[in-house]
Amino acid sequence: MAGIEFVQIAVLVAFGFNVVALVALIMLKAVHRRRMRLHDRRRESYVSLLSRHVAFEHCTDRITPEMAEDPAFLDALIDVRNAVAGPEMATLREIVSRHGVVEHQMARLRSPFPLGRRLRAAVALAEIGDETAAPALMESLDDREPEIRIQAARGLGRIRWTPAIDRIVWRFGIETPWVRVRFSDTLTMFGTKATWPLLAYVRINHKHETEGPKLALRTLAQIEDRDAVKPILEILAESRNLEIQIAAIEALGELGSPGAVPALSEMLTSPHWELRAKAATALGSIGDEWATPLLVSSLRDPDWWVRRNSAAAIARMPAGIESLYEALESSDPFAADAAAEALTNAGELISARLRAGEPDEEANEPLVAYMSATGKAEP
Amino acid sequence: MTQPKRILVADDSPTITTLLRSALEGAGYEVSSAIDGVEAYEKGRDGDFDLAILDQLMPGLLGLEIIDRWHKEGIEIPVIMLSGVDDDRTVIDSLDKGAVDFVRKPFRLPELMARIRHRVQA
Repeated sequence: MAGIEFVQIAVLVAFGFNVVALVALIMLKAVHRRRMRLHDRRRESYVSLLSRHVAFEHCTDRITPEMAEDPAFLDALIDVRNAVAGPEMATLREIVSRHGVVEHQMARLRSPFPLGRRLRAAVALAEIGDETAAPALMESLDDREPEIRIQAARGLGRIRWTPAIDRIVWRFGIETPWVRVRFSDTLTMFGTKATWPLLAYVRINHKHETEGPKLALRTLAQIEDRDAVKPILEILAESRNLEIQIAAIEALGELGSPGAVPALSEMLTSPHWELRAKAATALGSIGDEWATPLLVSSLRDPDWWVRRNSAAAIARMPAGIESLYEALESSDPFAADAAAEALTNAGELISARLRAGEPDEEANEPLVAYMSATGKAEP
Repeated sequence: MTQPKRILVADDSPTITTLLRSALEGAGYEVSSAIDGVEAYEKGRDGDFDLAILDQLMPGLLGLEIIDRWHKEGIEIPVIMLSGVDDDRTVIDSLDKGAVDFVRKPFRLPELMARIRHRVQA
């Protein structure tokens, strides 16, 4: 009997505890909602206040020091900053400077606060984009928290703080993949100023590291600085690392410089099918018709992927469609197949008409004949 | 005393509507705001506005769809289109459909105010 009573009491206690926990949770949620509502209301009134300052040169509405320390004011400031452009930015910068907004956030970022508060400060500094925050953001590139390092780099990118470029590039080699990708996004904000530090990084590290140099090459392609073509060609010639070679070829294709065509054409005869396939795609992106005969030869490549990429590249060349029609007559069935596939992809209309049984005989007779003969015209 | 000119501001970003409302009210206009396309369409249909500032991308109805519907119902409100989408197609479509002006976001507030002044006086 005593055992049963004990179980009953235990169940009651557990039930009571759960009820109390549930009530506490509901109350906490209600308090949080109320806080958020009040925060949003203050934020809206601050947006209104800042808007008047931005719209009217001699606005007399006061911004008090208490307001400037309110997180809702900071949110409003960021909102307005993102909504307007031009001379209004100077008004906002003046408000930021007069009320010590940057100093306040810098102090928070440097404090031993928990991550949430420090991260909020880092995001705020990145969004405000004020040059006075640069020293604190530079320090934060070495922060123990990855998200803070990302925000610090983003903030430095927004203000184009060029002394940060080397530090960000240097961290490519020691960061996690996620941080590295975000750093790459940041470096594109610096534009061509990041070209040489990135090239130097690849040159120094490509022999003993893969991931960092690969991403650096991709970043170079995104920056779209054609001055990088020659050094990337040198790296391509020097590297024995297949992944880096692929990244270099892709970068050359995206940069679109005709100066890369001879080296890429040479890659069409590489013993590695991956390099041949990537080189064909890159040549297609550059679109220099000098490479067309070489790409036509690659339609007979032993590897299916190379043939496919070569045909797709030819389709992108000026007068490439004619070359593909000629390849349909090739004695090599693989070359003809690749050409037929590229022609079909180049004009979806063709395959649509074939499926509907209404071939456009006048324009596509050889392709229609080829597709019918090989049974590829069937739906 | 002359009646203040009435302007409808529609944008799904509360920051933009608050910003424009503050600036326009400060300049002496009467402002009504909407936070989605349907609300904007209904307010335009029911109210008598001298100008509407419509965001192109709004939930419910797009800015261009609102212009279309107003035209079909014979409601002639001059529209300044706002858009964060930076493509020429949107600009051309907006002007073709009868918008009197097009402003890209982020915008320069004094410039937008000058365009509004010009349109409302015209």
